Amino acid sequence: MEIIHILGVLMHIHSVLTSQDTFSEELLIKPLYSDQVYTHFHFSTKWDVDMDTETFNHSRLFPRALGEIIKRFNVQELHVSLTGGLWRYENWGYPVVDAAPGAEVWAWFRPDTGDVDKNWKLLANSLSGLLCASLNFVDKSNSISPEFSFQPSGAIDSPNVNNTYLRYASLPREIVCTENLTPWKKLLPCNSKTGLASLLNSGYIHNSRYHSVGLHLRQICQDESCESVSLDLQQTVSLVYDYGILGTKDWSLSKLFGQGVNGRCVLASRSEIYIDITSTTARAFTLDPQPDEVLTSVRGGHHSTFGKYTLPRNFFNIYTKFIDKEIVSLNVPPVLHANQYLTGYGQERGGIVTKVYNNHWSELDVVLLQDIPWYVPIYLHTLKLMSNDIEIKPVALRYVPGKQRERPYYLEVFIKLPPRSTTSVSIDFDYVFLKWQEYPPDANHGFYIGSAIISSILPVARNYTGLPQDGTLISHSFNASRSGYLVQVRTENMVITLPTPDFSMPYNVICLACTVVALAFGPLHNITTRRLVMKSKKKESLLVKLKKFLSFNK
Amino acid sequence: MIVKQLIFLVILHAVSTKSQSSFPNKGHTNNWAVLVDTSRFWFNYRHVANVLSIYRSVKRLGIPDSQIILMIADDMACNPRNPRPATVFNNANQHINVYGDDVEVDYRGYEVTVENFVRLLTGRLPPGTPRSKQLLTDEGSNVLIYLTGHGGDGFLKFQDSEEITSQEMADALEQMWQKQRYHETFFMIDTCQAASMYERFYSPNILAVGSSLVGEDSLSHHVDPAIGVYIIDRYTYYALDFLENVDLQTNKSVGEFLKVCPKSVCISTVGVRKDLFQRNPDEVPVTDFFGSVRPIDLMDQVAIEPLVVDVGQRKVVPSTKRRKYAYVQPIVNVDTVSL
Repeated sequence: MEIIHILGVLMHIHSVLTSQDTFSEELLIKPLYSDQVYTHFHFSTKWDVDMDTETFNHSRLFPRALGEIIKRFNVQELHVSLTGGLWRYENWGYPVVDAAPGAEVWAWFRPDTGDVDKNWKLLANSLSGLLCASLNFVDKSNSISPEFSFQPSGAIDSPNVNNTYLRYASLPREIVCTENLTPWKKLLPCNSKTGLASLLNSGYIHNSRYHSVGLHLRQICQDESCESVSLDLQQTVSLVYDYGILGTKDWSLSKLFGQGVNGRCVLASRSEIYIDITSTTARAFTLDPQPDEVLTSVRGGHHSTFGKYTLPRNFFNIYTKFIDKEIVSLNVPPVLHANQYLTGYGQERGGIVTKVYNNHWSELDVVLLQDIPWYVPIYLHTLKLMSNDIEIKPVALRYVPGKQRERPYYLEVFIKLPPRSTTSVSIDFDYVFLKWQEYPPDANHGFYIGSAIISSILPVARNYTGLPQDGTLISHSFNASRSGYLVQVRTENMVITLPTPDFSMPYNVICLACTVVALAFGPLHNITTRRLVMKSKKKESLLVKLKKFLSFNK
Repeated sequence: MIVKQLIFLVILHAVSTKSQSSFPNKGHTNNWAVLVDTSRFWFNYRHVANVLSIYRSVKRLGIPDSQIILMIADDMACNPRNPRPATVFNNANQHINVYGDDVEVDYRGYEVTVENFVRLLTGRLPPGTPRSKQLLTDEGSNVLIYLTGHGGDGFLKFQDSEEITSQEMADALEQMWQKQRYHETFFMIDTCQAASMYERFYSPNILAVGSSLVGEDSLSHHVDPAIGVYIIDRYTYYALDFLENVDLQTNKSVGEFLKVCPKSVCISTVGVRKDLFQRNPDEVPVTDFFGSVRPIDLMDQVAIEPLVVDVGQRKVVPSTKRRKYAYVQPIVNVDTVSL
């Protein structure tokens, strides 16, 4: 009996060991041009599994909670990001993963999905439970299906992409805090006990200029022939620390994260830290301990050097020492960046302007995506593209007008940016009144309009840290020269103040009305209930009057 | 490809020699907590600290996150005004970070509404609500309900824009009772005129405590000059003080907990309503509501019987047509776009 038991356990272990999943953890640290240091955690789980037959009842490294969700709602690709702060493209270059301030979620459903809207709503609900975010506010009334910008990033089996299976929504007001990070960390196979995730201590993470938590799930090719696919889950955390907040330029893992790495995650097939030491000429620092290996990456004609550390099993820390060389280096802004602002005054009409900067010497094709909430009705005829004061025409345009309380305004413009130009895309809108119950409790705070997304495939890889489409790890981005490099620049959120009624007005009206009624009622009551009696008036002679007056004064 | 697979399931088959009656008669089988902060805005920092204090305690005493429904109407920890991000302290000396490094907020921000609260209690949630946002209690559940915010005589304000009345609260609890959604309920409320909220209760097995009587204000404890606002309310401050000294092996009773804040320190009079509660609070361990103590029966003999299931040949049918996958351009090519 016992033999069978042991055999059973052994068989079970065997079946687990042969399952086709791998987990890697990587950390990229890159000092930015200005007084910041960018750290990007990249946890990648790859699982060779057939989505059609897999039931997700059992998984080894892949988070089962997420597997159940994607199976249930027939999801092909899922991207979620929760971000606090704004990525400053102009000074910081491009992040590994772009994310808009607040919450952003988009998903591709499999082509055999029946009711995409229903699945989308239920998916958002489940994700809200999984990540403790208010994603349950995502529904038809704030979701769009962009045609150009969000093509599937994974491998798909049909060359025709039908964007009716895509949904995108953003919640620009969403706050991001420990309560989002806690469940996110629980999706990792080693939790946050060991490995790089042990660096994710909430107090230090949220004391940064920018923090973004991401979850990206897609299908990737298993091999070159690409006849079968694997599930690829990338969990990312991007942080930008400011030397001003840190109080020193000599950063170390313990200064950034509160402690060093608590050994490698034993389940990870790869645990590495990469430190960008390219910028050493301008912002030099020494590393202690010395990197295990120094890698040189040539990507799109751009050279960079990385120090690579392989995590040991025991406690590990890296210290840097800043060398003050008194050399002022020039910041070369990235090829493409953008910002967005409101125009107009008063509470009747306004406008949204998105400024897109092309610093490249040649033309750039960009797609501008605007997801405008239904309570900001925009007018397409006011769309105007001005490039260096010359009006230009969009190459292609997609527009779906919004409907009050039903769907947002969706605008996607394909623009050819002239070389070395600043292009402003402006559109006007009206301010509208909402129904009184639609105002949130803090209506005077304002209403948010999410980021515009400017997507482009850049010809050069300067300031670029993103992964190639077929790559899943940070190490795949080294020497990964491609014909183009995808960036999706997110602009600032905007806050507009809709005409907000005075919610104490009913109370005031009641008070005023009561006062008026009381004031009117009193005399009326007086007049109607009292009997008026005529008083006979005798005529008195002047003498009698005089006598009376005198006797009164006596 | 044909895979021949044997799945061995080993189940723990426990043989108990004792009879069922030897279980300690606790009456309840599981513990749940509904912790609600109804106040928005930074100056109500103390209410978030209140609710997180209780959250911290019940979690420490063993109620898992999956059985705690935490509703917080505003974000204090990562509020830009907070000089110490991702922390909420119960004390200006930063004794206890009640927010902690491991917190799961189930309803937050605009989700904290009267409708959601009543729906949660009565179990009438819309389809698709995730498990973490549901109160999946049964007739064996001891439920701790903790509310904090701004109240008045007979109501509690939610988010400064709506309110729940004491009658609605009482009816919601009655509905819970009728739907067998609780075994016993400990209702705790820290607001001004707190006692007015439980006056109209009429369902059995409810023990209620409020931080102040009708006509009284509940007061805050102290200011943190670094934050600039009041940090915590008096009643919850002393309740946390008591609970910090409680562990799972404690023999402290709910009766002691009810006396946690005498008028000399609370300034308001703590109101208690015991008439609906069947047991004597002095004999009820505090962990019956704040902890998750499960009845355990020690067994003399345990036999493990492997259960062998042969599922036979499980055929994995290979997909009939060879699929060819490919990556697509990240952005639609402009030349292929119809204008």
